Amino acid sequence: MSLPLEIIKKKRAEAINRIIGRGFLSTKRVYVGMATCEIAAGSKEVMNAFREAIQTGLTDVYLTQKGCAGRCNLEPTVEIVEEGKIPIKYGRVTREKVREIVERHLKKGEVIEEWVIK
Amino acid sequence: MNAMNTLPKYIVTLCDGPTCMHQRSKTLKAVIEEELKKRGLYETTSLVLSGCLGMCNKSPIVIVNPGYTIYGGVSPEDIPEIVEEHLVKGKPVARLAIEEDYLYNRFYRVFGDVAFFGQQMRIALRNCGIMDPESLDDYLSLRGYEALAKVLTDMSPAQVISEVKKSGLRGRGGAGFLTGLKWENTARQKSDEKFVICNADEGDPGAFMDRSTIEGDPHTVIEGMIIGGYAIGAHRGFVYIRAEYPLAIRRLRKAIDEARREGLLGTTILDSAFSFDIEIKLGAGAFVCGEETALIHSIEGRRGMPRPRPPYPSQKGLWGRPTLINNVETWANIPVIVLDGADWFTTIGTEKSKGTKVFALAGNVQNTGLVEVPMGTTLREIIYDIGGGIPDNKKFKAVQTGGPSGGCLPEQYLDTRVDYESLQAAGSIMGSGGMIVMDEGVCMVNIAKFFLEFTQNESCGKCTPCREGTKRMLEILQRITKGEGIEGDIEKLERLGTMISKASLCGLGQSAPNPVLSTLRHFRAEYEEHIKNKRCPAGTCVDLLSYTITDGCVGCGLCRKKCPVGAISGEPKQRHVIDQAACINCGQCYAACKFNAIQKS
Repeated sequence: MSLPLEIIKKKRAEAINRIIGRGFLSTKRVYVGMATCEIAAGSKEVMNAFREAIQTGLTDVYLTQKGCAGRCNLEPTVEIVEEGKIPIKYGRVTREKVREIVERHLKKGEVIEEWVIK
Repeated sequence: MNAMNTLPKYIVTLCDGPTCMHQRSKTLKAVIEEELKKRGLYETTSLVLSGCLGMCNKSPIVIVNPGYTIYGGVSPEDIPEIVEEHLVKGKPVARLAIEEDYLYNRFYRVFGDVAFFGQQMRIALRNCGIMDPESLDDYLSLRGYEALAKVLTDMSPAQVISEVKKSGLRGRGGAGFLTGLKWENTARQKSDEKFVICNADEGDPGAFMDRSTIEGDPHTVIEGMIIGGYAIGAHRGFVYIRAEYPLAIRRLRKAIDEARREGLLGTTILDSAFSFDIEIKLGAGAFVCGEETALIHSIEGRRGMPRPRPPYPSQKGLWGRPTLINNVETWANIPVIVLDGADWFTTIGTEKSKGTKVFALAGNVQNTGLVEVPMGTTLREIIYDIGGGIPDNKKFKAVQTGGPSGGCLPEQYLDTRVDYESLQAAGSIMGSGGMIVMDEGVCMVNIAKFFLEFTQNESCGKCTPCREGTKRMLEILQRITKGEGIEGDIEKLERLGTMISKASLCGLGQSAPNPVLSTLRHFRAEYEEHIKNKRCPAGTCVDLLSYTITDGCVGCGLCRKKCPVGAISGEPKQRHVIDQAACINCGQCYAACKFNAIQKS
C-alpha cells in the first residue's frame, strides 16, 4: 500500500498529463474570467466568442475559464499567457474586442495596448 | 509605432516589505535605476516596488519577470551582473537565484506586474484567477491536496493542531479567535461523534470574499476542512452556504463529487485509515445565520436563532456534539500553513495578527475589487495605492470596515494598520472583510441609518435589547434625517447603543449599534447640524434640502415645466421663484436647469 504523499504525487503527474492532453502546451493560453461577477459583466459572451474563433480555425490556443481575480470594475477580464513573456491582461472585454484580440494578438502576436490592465 | 515597443521587455520587482526595506530596498532601487540608464535599458524595463513578498529570510528580494526568477540577498554590487547577464543577454544569474516554491507565488507570476495586484499577497485567494475552478486536474497541478497527503502521511492530529496554533492564524469571519486554540478545544472533547462546519453564510451588504473564494477555488476549502476533520477526529463536515450563491454551490458540489471520485474525500482517503465526507447545507439568507449557534440551529432544521454561549460549539455544537466551525477564508489558509509551514506564515503580518486578510473594496474608490493584503497594511495603502484613491477629484470622508457590525473611520485614521487590535482601538472592527470607501458627498447620519435599518430588519427577535433597542434607535435616526431631531437625541442614541451592545445575546445585537456609535464619535458635528440647524452638510438627506432660484435665472421656464407639484412660478424671461411650502425637494429642477441658477442647500 502506498503512502498518501506518494499517491498524491502520482495523481498530480496524471493530472498534468491530462491538462497537457487538453492542449496546455499550446503557444498561447487564454483565461476567461467566469465567476458570478464576471458573468454578470458579460463574460459568457466573451467565452463564446473565443470558442467560435477556435471552431472557425484558430489554432495553437488553450482556452480555459478562471475564477475572479478581483478586478471588479474592469470585468470581464481575459489573460493571455505565453511562456517566456509577460502575461497580458485585458480588461472590459466584449465580443467585438475578442474579434480584434483573436486577429491581432492571438494570430499576429500584437499586444493591443490600450486595453491592457496595468 | 509598433505597440510591442512600449510594453516593457522585463519587469523588475523589488520587495518593499518591512524586512527588505530595512535591508534598504530603496537604495537598491536607485542603483538599479542608474545601471539601467547606463545600459540604455531604462525605457524598456519596468521597475516596481511591491509589498512584502514573504521571503524575508532571503531579504532583500529582487524578482525578474517574465520567467519569475527570484534573486535573494541582493547587494548593490550584484546589480551590474544581473543587468548585464539577465536583462541584456537573457540569462538568469544562477549564483543569486533562489528556488522558493511558495503556494502564493503562482498568482504573482501572472499578475505581479499590475500595480493593483503587485502590492497584494495572495494566500487564501492564491488560485483565484489563475486556474479553472471546475477542474480538479488544475487544482492538483498546483500542488492541490498535497497538504492533506502530507498530514495523512507524516503528521499526527496533535502535530497538525500545534502547527496551526504556531501559525497564529485567527478566525477570518471577524471575531479573530485563535484558530489553533479552537481546534485544540474541539479535539480535547470526548464524544462518540464530532463535526466540522464551514461557515459560508456571507451576509454583509457588499461583501463577496467567500463567494469569490468558493467560485474561484472550491477545492482549497474542501482540503482545509478534511485536514480540520483529521485534526479533531471528525468524519463528517458541512458547508453552510446561502442559496443566493448558485454558481458557488454548483462549483462546490462538482468539486465534492470529483474529490470523492478521486479518493480524496469519503472512506479511507488516499488509502489511509482516515475517512471524512462533506455535505452542503443551503441557508435561506438570514443574516443572523452567520452567527455560529444560529447557523448550527439552522443545519439541525430548527429556526435560525442564537443561544447563549458557553457552552461553545467546540463543546456542544451540532446535535450536541463538539463542532469545529470556521469561516471560508480561514479554511482556505490551512493547506498553505501545512505546506509552507507555520514558521513561514508567522513572518507575514503583525505581532498579533498573522498572515493576510481579504477585503471586498467598494464604494467611492477608483479600483473596486477583491484585495488580499498582509496584516499591518495601512488603510491608506489599501485605498490609495491599491484602490487608486477617490474618483472625480472628490475628498475622502470615511471608510467603513466590518459591514453592519463595524464602524466608520475618518481621515485621521487612514494610517491605522489593518489588524484585529488596531481597528478595534480606532472604533471599528476587522469583520469578515467588507470595506466601503465614502467621499464627501456621503451623509454619515444617513449611512448609520442604512446599516441600522439592515440589522434591525435582520434581528431575529429573540432578545429584547436587539429587537426593541435597534428599532427605537432607527426611529430616532429616521427623525433626525427628516429634520425632526430634537435636543437630547444624540445622548439617547448613545445610551441606547451602549445598552444594546452590553445586553444583547449574540454578536449581531452586540455590534448592531457600532455604525451609529462610531459615526457619533467621529462625526458628531454632522449629527448636531442635522438636529440644531436642520441642515444636511453632505446634501443627501432629501427632507433637509431646500432649493432656491438665484439671479442667474433667465426665465426659460424649463424648471416650471419639470416641477411635478407646480411649486415654481414666474413670467417668461423673468426670474422664477420656488414656493417653499409646496416644494417636495425632489431635485428635478436642479437637475434640469441649464444655467446653474438653482441652488441646493
